[in-house]
Amino acid sequence: MTDTATIDAAQGYEPTANHYKTSDQGVALDIQNFNLWYGDKQALFDNTLPVQKGLVTALIGPSGCGKSTLLRSLNRMNDLVDGLRISGKVLVDGFDIYNKGVDVIALRKRMGMVFQKPNPFAMSIYDNVTYPLRVDGVTKKSILDETVERSLRSAALWDEAKDRLHDSALGLSGGQQQRLCIARGIASDPEVLLMDEPCSALDPIATAKIEELIGQLAGAYTIVMVTHSMSQAARVSHNTAFMYLGRLIEYGETTTIFTNPKQARTNDYVTGRFG
Amino acid sequence: MSVSNDQDIPASGAAGLAGVAAREATGGGRRVRRFSADLSAVGEPALWAFGGALALGIILISGFLFMIAWNGMTTFWPKPIEQVELRDGTVLAGVATRGGPYRVGEDVLLTLDDAQRAEIEGELGIASRTLYKTANFDLYGDDFRWVSDFEVASLSQPDDFWYFERQVWGVFIGRIAGLTVGGEPREMDRALLAREHTAARERFAQMRRLEQREIGAINHRIERERLAQRRAVLRHGEGSPQSQAAIEAAQASIAELQAEFQTLQAQVNEIRATDRQYRIQMEEVGGRVVDIELSQIVRLFPSNDLSLGQKIGIYFSRWWEFISTEPREANTQGGVLPAIFGTVAMTLLMVVFVAPFGVITALYLREYAKQGRITSLVRISVNNLAGVPSIVYGVFGLGFFAYTMGGSIDQLFYAENLPNPTFGKGGILWASLTLALLTVPVVIVATEEALSAVPRSMREGSLACGASKWQTIRYIVLPKAMPGIMTGMILAMARGAGEVAPLMLVGVVKLAPALPIDGFYPFVHLDRSFMHLGFHIFDVGFQSRNSEAGKPMVFVTTLLLLALIVTMNATAIIIRNRLKRKYADGQF
Ligand SMILES: Nc1ncnc2c1ncn2[C@@H]1O[C@H](COP(=O)(O)OP(=O)(O)OP(=O)(O)O)[C@@H](O)[C@H]1O
Ligand SMILES: [Mg+2]
Repeated sequence: MTDTATIDAAQGYEPTANHYKTSDQGVALDIQNFNLWYGDKQALFDNTLPVQKGLVTALIGPSGCGKSTLLRSLNRMNDLVDGLRISGKVLVDGFDIYNKGVDVIALRKRMGMVFQKPNPFAMSIYDNVTYPLRVDGVTKKSILDETVERSLRSAALWDEAKDRLHDSALGLSGGQQQRLCIARGIASDPEVLLMDEPCSALDPIATAKIEELIGQLAGAYTIVMVTHSMSQAARVSHNTAFMYLGRLIEYGETTTIFTNPKQARTNDYVTGRFG
Repeated sequence: MSVSNDQDIPASGAAGLAGVAAREATGGGRRVRRFSADLSAVGEPALWAFGGALALGIILISGFLFMIAWNGMTTFWPKPIEQVELRDGTVLAGVATRGGPYRVGEDVLLTLDDAQRAEIEGELGIASRTLYKTANFDLYGDDFRWVSDFEVASLSQPDDFWYFERQVWGVFIGRIAGLTVGGEPREMDRALLAREHTAARERFAQMRRLEQREIGAINHRIERERLAQRRAVLRHGEGSPQSQAAIEAAQASIAELQAEFQTLQAQVNEIRATDRQYRIQMEEVGGRVVDIELSQIVRLFPSNDLSLGQKIGIYFSRWWEFISTEPREANTQGGVLPAIFGTVAMTLLMVVFVAPFGVITALYLREYAKQGRITSLVRISVNNLAGVPSIVYGVFGLGFFAYTMGGSIDQLFYAENLPNPTFGKGGILWASLTLALLTVPVVIVATEEALSAVPRSMREGSLACGASKWQTIRYIVLPKAMPGIMTGMILAMARGAGEVAPLMLVGVVKLAPALPIDGFYPFVHLDRSFMHLGFHIFDVGFQSRNSEAGKPMVFVTTLLLLALIVTMNATAIIIRNRLKRKYADGQF
């Protein structure tokens, strides 16, 4: 399976085809020749992906291809994994985040993250949303209150939660919990928002609201989003990156990826012939 | 090879799956499909064995608890006094405590008349007997007497027998021969007796208070002055002007205190002189009279002439005495208040030590230490510590805490007291530290389990918010793990509160002169030895001069200790459940 050399040969792969939309604000996250190993097993192969500032980038690809791994590499969440090894660079403002002496906590404060499965903390809704601020030392009630309302409104949860802000977040439904996690992810006004299938637990209405939110946030925020829904990627993203078996196969403007991909693999995947 | 395999496998497979049915099917010709399996395959016998084992366990435990509860609950119920006339003419009075069949000795048989001997021999030499608590230890030199049924000529329960619980010498059983009120002999009169007894007990309490609290306080201050004097000598050298001045100051205040002491002593003597005028004359069944001060009687009642209400009153007043007063008569009488206090204080102090220590150790092991061979080794060692006999902890506590650490503390801070040790001997501090050491594996294991049960996604969520590792542990992991940690504390508390062996080495005593917390500066005396319910049980039941008299106390004390542990645990469980509810997962 992982013998990709033979697959490459059989499928006649080109090197990554790049025809992405560029931002006038420049590159937010410049992933360069990034490799990652879980122990002996290589999960990412030589990925190069310049994430554009202020745009929405969708990561698509079949299950297990390394989308989450790549996303988690961007705020160094993978540091927690034992036996993890990387090579290559991820540049933010020209600095490699994997350099020695990088303040990982400060880095993570600049990036909000929403996980594949909702993971609210065992505290009240209010405390959940304000958590990123409180760990940053913010105690002023007016700021916290304001943040809670703004974030919950953005995450389309305010109407449902405004009367129970001080109830446990674990009492929310799965979809509500996910929207709460989104609210938490944007509470501290991060520059980059990393989302790992944020809508997988949501109904169509909530999904629409989140997509609307993503549309509003684009421009001010850089958003990297993993999704299994091709239509979602098509609706909300500017650029799309297609990954397969740990390799970045194609990175391009979303419309091009879905209508006129350069790679046969991408075409197969977006037309639903495999995946 | 492959051919024979092909033939074998279906046959054995069918037999294995359908058991008997398969064989029937092939033999009978008619196809029977039965979906039943061997008894052993279903696991029914194993189920019976598990059920049986469970039932046996429950029976043993509930029987044990019932025995303790029954004996403990009935001890304080007032029982009738029986007057027993024996065939040889002796008369005795006592409370039947227990009885049963026994084999009559040859020498006893020889002394009996023919009819009786024939009767006992008809019963194969077995007769039954009863143990009477005759009390009156000061007169008889014993509290109990066995009486065989064949010895008894007649039994009665005269109404005029009284049961006197005395301050010293234990119980007296007998009639009231007379009263002395204000030095004047008076006729026995129940109302008068009740009135005078209450007054006498008040005088007694007053003398007690003067002697123990006030004179105790003066002694305490004199001791402080004496120590200040020694401290000055130690610091400034003998004969130096400073120490000379300190000695003079101390001597002056000691003289003052001694004057105060004299006045108090005079007061006590005065009350005592009055008290001697109020007396009771008690006559035992054989006619000997004992004349004592009324104030020396804790409780008295006519056992055979009580209404149900009075019996209930006595029952509860005995319970109250038991849990609210100090022990008397080598712990076989009176209460266990100091032991309750010591047990609770030591257990709580142990929790104070074991909680942070165990939790921090587990936190480090689970969250910070690099998981590898060394952490596994540490973990295994910690788990195996639970198998070390607790007396070994006691030896360690005595050697390390009391002698080494306590000895050094004495050298540094309590030099004026030497050669009398202050911390350099067993005490409540060392006892609770020893027990903390004994129970820390339980807390570590429970905490580690609880920590590892906190979902990884929660930690990641917190870290992704820009929280540091410590913030994540502090705000996310620890609260979530708290119920599990509390479970560990509960187990540790139950284990610690019931432990006796190590305590005997590090500070538990039969009778503690003072509680570890009192009104004298610095109010909490962690160096003091203390009493403990577990040790009290051992002492009363097996170490006392009069173990028969102590036996009921063993059950009552055990019952109390169990109740105490249950209460402490219940409190902890309630707190834990509250935490659990707070962090309970909602339904999706
Ligand atoms: N902690 C880990 N340790 C070892 N291997 C891992 C770990 N996490 C992921 N992997 C492996 O790395 C590969 C990529 O996993 P990843 O979670 O990134 O896939 P994904 O593209 O997000 O899939 P999905 O769409 O199903 O979420 C998989 O083969 C997975 O088994
Ligand atoms: Mg994933």
